[in-house]
Amino acid sequence: MLKHNKSAVFLLIAALPVALIGALGSGPVSVDLVSALAEGWGGQSSDAVILWQLRLPRALLALLVGAALGMGGAAMQGMLRNPLAEPALLGVSSGAALVAVLFLYYGTAWKSGWLLQALAIGGAFSAAAAVWLLAGRGASAGRLVLAGVAINAFLSALIALALNYAPSMFAMQEVVFWLMGSLANRGWDQLLLALPFLGLGAVCLFFTRNYLRALALGEDSAASLGFQSRMYPFIILLGIASAVGGAVAVAGTIGFVGLVVPHLVRPLVRQDPAKLLWVSALAGALLLLLADILVINVVGAQELRIGAVTAFIGAPFFFWLIVNARRGQWL
Amino acid sequence: MSYTAEQGIEAACIALGLQRGRKNVLRSVDCTFKPYELTAVVGPNGAGKSSLLQCLSGVQRPSAGRIVFNGEDAGRLAASQRARLGAFLPQSETPAWSLCAADMVALGLLPWGRLPDREQRVQQALLLVDAQAFAERPVTQLSGGELRRVQLARLLVGRAPLLIADEPTAALDIRHQLQLMQNFRSLADSGKTVVLALHDLSLAARFCDRILLMLDGALLAQGAPQAVLTPSLIGEAYGVSCEFRWRDGIADFVPLDLLRKSSG
Repeated sequence: MLKHNKSAVFLLIAALPVALIGALGSGPVSVDLVSALAEGWGGQSSDAVILWQLRLPRALLALLVGAALGMGGAAMQGMLRNPLAEPALLGVSSGAALVAVLFLYYGTAWKSGWLLQALAIGGAFSAAAAVWLLAGRGASAGRLVLAGVAINAFLSALIALALNYAPSMFAMQEVVFWLMGSLANRGWDQLLLALPFLGLGAVCLFFTRNYLRALALGEDSAASLGFQSRMYPFIILLGIASAVGGAVAVAGTIGFVGLVVPHLVRPLVRQDPAKLLWVSALAGALLLLLADILVINVVGAQELRIGAVTAFIGAPFFFWLIVNARRGQWL
Repeated sequence: MSYTAEQGIEAACIALGLQRGRKNVLRSVDCTFKPYELTAVVGPNGAGKSSLLQCLSGVQRPSAGRIVFNGEDAGRLAASQRARLGAFLPQSETPAWSLCAADMVALGLLPWGRLPDREQRVQQALLLVDAQAFAERPVTQLSGGELRRVQLARLLVGRAPLLIADEPTAALDIRHQLQLMQNFRSLADSGKTVVLALHDLSLAARFCDRILLMLDGALLAQGAPQAVLTPSLIGEAYGVSCEFRWRDGIADFVPLDLLRKSSG
């Protein structure tokens, strides 16, 4: 269990391009990948357009969103010193979701490729700001998360209220589907919009890696090792607002990746909370891409929503966690 | 300002006060800890021993007074610099993840970044506390005493000239208590400034150069063990009548009976 499993991490890295090829080859029409790739970015054939304008941005977005969710989850669990934490606890996902819901009701007049997503990112940052104001200056990690839980509960209530007063059944359906998360019909616009936020979030979270390491020993010990600054929980909040907020804004709320992925890879990094950040990002990217391949290949009357797929994988993992806890490892 | 372990550090608390809620847990404490000295902080539960150690290590910001390292205000030091000067082991420390013992010890080197002799230092520290046998075991599977020894190795692995430990001997068996106190003794003899909160007055008397006796957040007495560990001072601090039998510098402390204690 404790053996540093370098080969498993390499396997993870090697699996990414394989899954990427799988994703590019998946879809309702079959595409000659080699010739479409050879045609390049400006290719005019239908194969090239499908590959470069539809499948590639969607697959890359799956990788980025999965990485953001995985890394956010690793940071949350590290900050709270609790394996049951997940990034949605801070309320940033609900902030993005609420704005998206309101936009889907009232803003459809100015529908554009990326306005909804841009506003949703604003919602995520507003929720993070509310959490920070509620927690107060110099809040400990614990108080920050408590404030996040409170804001999250309030925003979820507002979302429920908005659903309750949906102007039409059609609007309601659109909202419910958005809340279930999807990567369908996402293109370069969404990818380029999300990219800087995901990048900023990754930089913030990576900056706190040694704090998360020291925090494995508890707050007092971390403080004695030079990490007593209350700046660190704030940077983690900012990083999660940016990375997870950006991810939720373009893909909707996708649950369980942030919870499950850090658990899956923790043994591969000898439980090191710092290495866990980037290995969780890798594994999150892989998991979401695989889930999206599943979504694309399951043909039905309704498009399968990726949030439903990840929850479907995630919930049994929860069962497994509880069974493990019952055997007396923890809890 | 830069220090090396060899130079040693003189840490002084000046009119130190700390408020927690409405309670003054430290009241105008003045004391100095010097290189080559092993100091024990003793006193009944709630006397303020841990608070004093937390302020000294920088984990707690004092609400009054200041801490001075070699004449300079420690409150002005950068957190990372202060961490390189003083290492601290809190009273209780629960690891959050099942790190293996060696990895947990290595965390004590975080203030120094990547040292070239990192592996050797970790092995040496594990050797000091007699914990090489479980270097690769997950810390969540260790017994209380084994975990405490790994935590002590984490304290000792760095290069800090000031070592602070809150009840390091609690949970240890007598062999490892003795070994630990001998280690702290030789670290002090090599020039480190060592401050320990202790409950075992016999150990304190035998190994320490100086004893700080605390009561209700204030210093009741400080000085050499023979001067501080007297039946009248112990009676006043703990509300216990006792006897000290001194033989060749080894004190045998025998608590006898409860005294009626005025409630403070």
